[in-house]
Amino acid sequence: MDLAAFRKGLDDWLAEHDRDLAPEHEGLGTLDERVAQLAKVKRRCFDAGWMRWGWPERVGGLAGSPILRAYLGEALTARDIVEPDVYSMTEVLAPTMIDFAATELAAEVVPRLLRGDEIWCQGFSEPGTGSNLASLACRATRTDGGWRVTGQKVWTSYAQYASHCVLLTRTGTQESAHHGITALFVDMDSAGITVRPLRTMHGSDEFSEVFFDDVAVPFERTLGEVDQGWAVAMDLLPYERSTSLWHRCAYLQRRLERLLAIVPSGVLGAAEVGDAAQRLIALRARSRATQYRLAGGEQLGPETSIDKMLLSTAEQAVMDLAARGLSPEVLIRDDAPSERWRAEYLYSRAASIYGGTTEIQRNIIARRLLDLGDDR
Amino acid sequence: MDAAEFELFQRSVRQAAADHTADALDAALADLGWPDALSDDPYTAVSILFPVQGAANAISSALDQVVANGLGLGPWTGAVVLPRLGTSTVPGTAVDDGLSVRGLGTRALARSDTVFVVATADPGDSCTVAAVAVADLRIEPVRGMDPDLDLVQVNGDGVGCRRQTDSPASAWRTSVVLARLAVSYEMLGAAQAMLALAREHALDRVQYGGPISRFQAVRHRLADTLVAIEAAAAVADATRQAPSPELATLAKSLAGESALTAARHCQQVLAGIGFTAEHAFHRYFRRMLLLDQLFGSAHALTAELGEKLLRSRALPALLPLDDPVTTGTRAR
Repeated sequence: MDLAAFRKGLDDWLAEHDRDLAPEHEGLGTLDERVAQLAKVKRRCFDAGWMRWGWPERVGGLAGSPILRAYLGEALTARDIVEPDVYSMTEVLAPTMIDFAATELAAEVVPRLLRGDEIWCQGFSEPGTGSNLASLACRATRTDGGWRVTGQKVWTSYAQYASHCVLLTRTGTQESAHHGITALFVDMDSAGITVRPLRTMHGSDEFSEVFFDDVAVPFERTLGEVDQGWAVAMDLLPYERSTSLWHRCAYLQRRLERLLAIVPSGVLGAAEVGDAAQRLIALRARSRATQYRLAGGEQLGPETSIDKMLLSTAEQAVMDLAARGLSPEVLIRDDAPSERWRAEYLYSRAASIYGGTTEIQRNIIARRLLDLGDDR
Repeated sequence: MDAAEFELFQRSVRQAAADHTADALDAALADLGWPDALSDDPYTAVSILFPVQGAANAISSALDQVVANGLGLGPWTGAVVLPRLGTSTVPGTAVDDGLSVRGLGTRALARSDTVFVVATADPGDSCTVAAVAVADLRIEPVRGMDPDLDLVQVNGDGVGCRRQTDSPASAWRTSVVLARLAVSYEMLGAAQAMLALAREHALDRVQYGGPISRFQAVRHRLADTLVAIEAAAAVADATRQAPSPELATLAKSLAGESALTAARHCQQVLAGIGFTAEHAFHRYFRRMLLLDQLFGSAHALTAELGEKLLRSRALPALLPLDDPVTTGTRAR
């Protein structure tokens, strides 16, 4: 299946099923509604085959280029069928499982994620471990019967919905830094796990604190090698900045289009509109090149920090523009479309924080791409 | 040309632009067959030469050839009048008593006795490509901000044509697309060179017992510079792969923006030494200011895009996901 055939087939299918694929909620909807909508759409797309293209056959896919996945997410977000946020977890976690989980485990669980039966979360950050990921302390101890995990994670997106967690644990000494980390695939219904959702400033329980109290995890759930979890993290992070970033770019274009359609005449200046649009197009050009590097089998690495920085500046430029162009909607109106603009504007403030702050991306660029040496 | 020959050609052109400037570079390019490459595959030829020309702060009459190529004049090593500063409109206007000419010229003009002027009676209408005697024009050398660029101001009134051909307005649009891409690449090359100078300085300059490259205030400026360059380069490359007037405009605007960003950050990192005439920085800075104004500045093109979007209330569907390498229409 090439992109042209996939696009034609998918576009026709989406046009045919637009009524039953459209969300039932108005505006952004609650997080519960968005999660349910995504599950419905993934299920329909999986059954019709669209969700399976671009994934290996050994995990329930139909093979083909990852470019097909980029187009699927673009088509779904550009039609307002799904939001790119919850969807992004599929594109971040499935590739990592395919790369690092034991063959049988990947074959068993990845299809459930693709089909929308399950949501997974990613347990990386901790209260004492933000930017400095290698300092994480959530401990996994080896026992005769498997790992026992004790510790705490934070900013764990969608943890309250998740059936499984890709969890980074400390298996070496605390001083072992990135040499003593092991990645585990943990059942979220295990005894000893407590999830406490955190309310964000945009009004959603998007992420949680997750507490692990002597949680049993079988050895077969180890991802990659023991003490080599850093490789899993380094493999995963570029996925946050590739396919799902293309989806987010498509969504931002959709919102800028909507803004242009409804903004009252004379409110916005030409220069600010041109600037935001230009940033978005530059992001699209950059991300498209990244999609083709990924499709060509290239290992993505620190250069995707550039993609992430372009995303955060473009997202904030578009939403700053929306806030100026639609100030009544963003500031004083309480109808569903206005609530959506307000939530999106507020959420855009996080674009330079989540997935590695802009400052961390700059550090990566300085050290890895500009070869400026150590910063201390 | 097979792959190995193309590789050699590419390397030779880049070496020539790194080693030579002015007449010597023009001669080297002619020897290497760059004008023929330009007529075979203009977008690729432009992407080979101009980044290095920008990085080396070199000058040549390649831009004249690029404009001539867009007009369908074939491999051409003579001179073409460029649009006035800050514009991309044709430099000539056809009036009853001949041509009125307002534009700029490169060094190619100094050695020519005939120059091509693109003129129109009505903007948007078909245009005339007129061969004009240089002696009939008022040519004033420009020193200005970038004396090394060897620009001239070209003016003329009631100028007669030696010969003329009518071209569709699309011929000039093609010239503008190619010229914008060429100047974009030149600016990106200059921005890369500024970044390289600032990076080297940051690693060499020792303060507080170590190189200043270990300070985040310095590292982050350089990182922001690279991000700006890469963003503009992505759009320039997309334009090369599947050229269109919309993309070339964006490429030019973003290249200008990224060169301005590079100049601001790199000058700050270079600090005192970068402010001296002894250091190379100022040459790139001057060149960048001039290049930004050729075929439309970042500032003007950004506002132009914004006006268009506010008027149409829609976003143009640019950059489809299709593989640009296999679907791009490289030739005109």
